[in-house]
Amino acid sequence: MKPYALLLRSLAAAAAVLLGAMAVLVTLDVVMRNVGLGTIAWVNEVSEYSLPVATLLIAPWLLHRNEHVRLDVLLVSLSARAARVLEKTCDVLGIAICAVFVWYGIRLILDSARIGSMVVKTLAIPEWWQYALVPVCFSLLAVEFARRLRE
Amino acid sequence: MTWWLSAIVLFGVLTALFLVGLPAAFAFFGINIVGAWFYLGKEAGLVQLIRNGIVSITSFSLTPIPFFILMGEVLFHTGVAMKAIDAIDRVIWRVPGRLSVVAVVAGTVFSAISGSTIATTALLGSLLLPQMLRRGYHPNMAMGPIMAIGGVDMLIPPSALTVLLGSLAGISISQLLIAGIVPGVLLSLMFIGWIVLRALADPSLAPSFEHEEMPLWERLKPLILYVMPLALIFVVVVAAMAAGWATPTEAAAIGAVATVAVAWIYRALTLSNLMKALMGTAGISAIILFIIIGATTFAQILTFSGATNGMVEAVRDAGFGPWTVLIAMLLVLLLLGCFVDQVSMMLISLPFFMPLVALYGFDPVWFGVLFLICMQLGLLTPPFGMLLFTMKSVAPKEIAMRQVWHAVTPYVVMGLGALIAVMLFPPLATWLPKLLFK
Repeated sequence: MKPYALLLRSLAAAAAVLLGAMAVLVTLDVVMRNVGLGTIAWVNEVSEYSLPVATLLIAPWLLHRNEHVRLDVLLVSLSARAARVLEKTCDVLGIAICAVFVWYGIRLILDSARIGSMVVKTLAIPEWWQYALVPVCFSLLAVEFARRLRE
Repeated sequence: MTWWLSAIVLFGVLTALFLVGLPAAFAFFGINIVGAWFYLGKEAGLVQLIRNGIVSITSFSLTPIPFFILMGEVLFHTGVAMKAIDAIDRVIWRVPGRLSVVAVVAGTVFSAISGSTIATTALLGSLLLPQMLRRGYHPNMAMGPIMAIGGVDMLIPPSALTVLLGSLAGISISQLLIAGIVPGVLLSLMFIGWIVLRALADPSLAPSFEHEEMPLWERLKPLILYVMPLALIFVVVVAAMAAGWATPTEAAAIGAVATVAVAWIYRALTLSNLMKALMGTAGISAIILFIIIGATTFAQILTFSGATNGMVEAVRDAGFGPWTVLIAMLLVLLLLGCFVDQVSMMLISLPFFMPLVALYGFDPVWFGVLFLICMQLGLLTPPFGMLLFTMKSVAPKEIAMRQVWHAVTPYVVMGLGALIAVMLFPPLATWLPKLLFK
């Protein structure tokens, strides 16, 4: 496997392990609560955060394998040449969209870190941690669209 | 800009992005970038767009989704699902159209364990379809029931899409999950009735074949060994939610861990198939969640552009009766279902529908079940029903798409029947949750 694919796959595997660990933790919390061992207060919150983290980690891998849901009605009914033009249009649009997310994602992180916003529930974490993966994920997605454009 | 012009522009651009073949999530990202720029205050709007997207999936009401999906993935990847089908196959004999009936029963059992319709259809299709065709079953008799029962998966809990609907529409997730049980089982029974009647009327559709003789215990043993524990997991998950011992997330997590434990007890669990199941889970969950990141802000933009209010007021001022509005909403859903995927269906329609549901005082759980049946039909209706493509991909090469459509038609009609039945007799949906959540 090429290093690039290996990177995407490792991120995806991290997402998979994270979700599995959450299932175990949530179960453990329920069991402990019911046998009177108290509760692990941060479990609910961490399982919430695991959703965006897992999603952003695995999204580039899914695009690499072309697994994101898409409507290919027009693509299959067009001539091969027209379909190719359409595919390229998609890739260009994809890169543009990702660029916006990377740029404004970084702005969001910097703004939030500058003000020092915190998310305070059971745990108190700097707000920008929530968004830290956004520029990473969308940069990889942009690379993936660019890779397709060259094919 | 008037509200209807905003609505036309927003939906027009969204449709165009869908049509060029951009993945659904990116189509929503694209329209949101445009919408956020104009309606949410240029650059500040774009920053807000990203913040909203991430916050929208940082939600405890969505956490059951990966866990429900994990239950199904573990069964498929460890091969426990196959053992369960064999067990069901063994206890159903001397029934006209036997293998088709097996498909429906096995599909119903899986619905009760897995949260993913496509996995159910793919598994039953690749396992039972070749066997049926080899035995001389008519392709309609072979493919129809498998696709139909895959759709029912959405109604019978645990169901990832039901969790999503409850979360996005603000309907009680536990009640909605449980409300799907009666209509789901009813549909399964209708399917079995139809198969038996067809096979009786024309035995050549499903030639009967000798089934090996065996003592009753031999027949029942695999059922007790491989199906009962799965049924037990289902009961525990549903009971834990209904009794209020656990939130849907907790019930789902317990279900997932129990499923892994069962696979381990059967000595079917390996590190490699557990990892496959987890990867599958993360993939399916992320596909759903990624579209939500894209689409949450879409609802907000529709509100800011005045499109939502404009539409709701226009409907109210037109003085339509509640039935007209309800039927119109369901028709819109059926139409959407022919073209877009289930998650996009919810995200496009709910911003308009839920205010109308509140305005007309419809019971949200009842409306939710009607919505689910429409989504289920959307999986089966040409040209873009997802399960039609799933079936086509596992069916032998010589079977054409037209034949797949033909096979599913009677089941779509039965689904419409169920939709009308639940519409006219709301207790079909609301009786069980009312009974359990006093």
